[in-house]
Amino acid sequence: MLEGILGSTSAERVLVFLRSRGEGYPREMARFFATSLRPIQNQLEHLEAAGVLWSRLVGRTRLYAFNPRYPFLRELEALLDKALSFYPESDRGALLMNRRRPRRAGKPHEAD
Amino acid sequence: MKPISEMSAGELAAYVASHLKGRGIEVVLSGGACVTIWSEGRYVSADVDLIGGGMTPRLSLRKALAEIGFVEQGRQFVHQDARFFVDCPSGPVALGREAPKEIRTMQFATGSLRLLSPTDCVKDRLLAWYHWQDRQSLEQAALVAERNPVDLDELGEWSKREGKAGAFEEIKGRLSPSR
Repeated sequence: MLEGILGSTSAERVLVFLRSRGEGYPREMARFFATSLRPIQNQLEHLEAAGVLWSRLVGRTRLYAFNPRYPFLRELEALLDKALSFYPESDRGALLMNRRRPRRAGKPHEAD
Repeated sequence: MKPISEMSAGELAAYVASHLKGRGIEVVLSGGACVTIWSEGRYVSADVDLIGGGMTPRLSLRKALAEIGFVEQGRQFVHQDARFFVDCPSGPVALGREAPKEIRTMQFATGSLRLLSPTDCVKDRLLAWYHWQDRQSLEQAALVAERNPVDLDELGEWSKREGKAGAFEEIKGRLSPSR
């Protein structure tokens, strides 16, 4: 939907994912979009270098989020919100619905 | 001219900025090295952040800096003799959602340097405190305010526009001359 102006589908995926969930890590995004990891990682690195995102290490995982210091953040978020409103309900729901509550160690994963 | 190995952060920044200007690339010093200058060396940054207008291709920057011996390593430019890294983050120069109010110009023996004013330098540091609770940045803001007149009213209004009016009220005592 925005790949025409962003220049890449992966860039759009990364941005809508982070807009929907607040933060995320590369493997989680690649799994969500059923795509390979490398293009997602490339976009995350590119957007971080451009100051749009920032990242921090949590254990051995690099977590990405929007850089609150990015001067066009509010405008970018408005654009992403608009794009998301055109996404199919099922995609929007899947992006927004993810488990954030804690899961006891050792508990099976199928019952989300 | 002074050997590059003996240049202070300000002198190195001025040297690099002047060279870039000669190649048609205008930059502004921001970040920790700005604190080094305005705090008169009470804080020393390891890198020199020079930010362009955002329209300069990385390749042009790489070529221009290579002419004075800087080599790109990761996202930074390194000179074998310099004591500081040079970083050229993506532009524009911004203080949260806003452009700087004022760009100062400072003359060094090594060249001319455009940099954030003390008030804008404090804003730059406060952003890291507001968003990431980075206490070092708050300390740096206080160091700048201690040595330079800063516009507290403007800092308060700007903080409000950034949605951080409450956070500013909590720390403004650290920036006032009477502390």
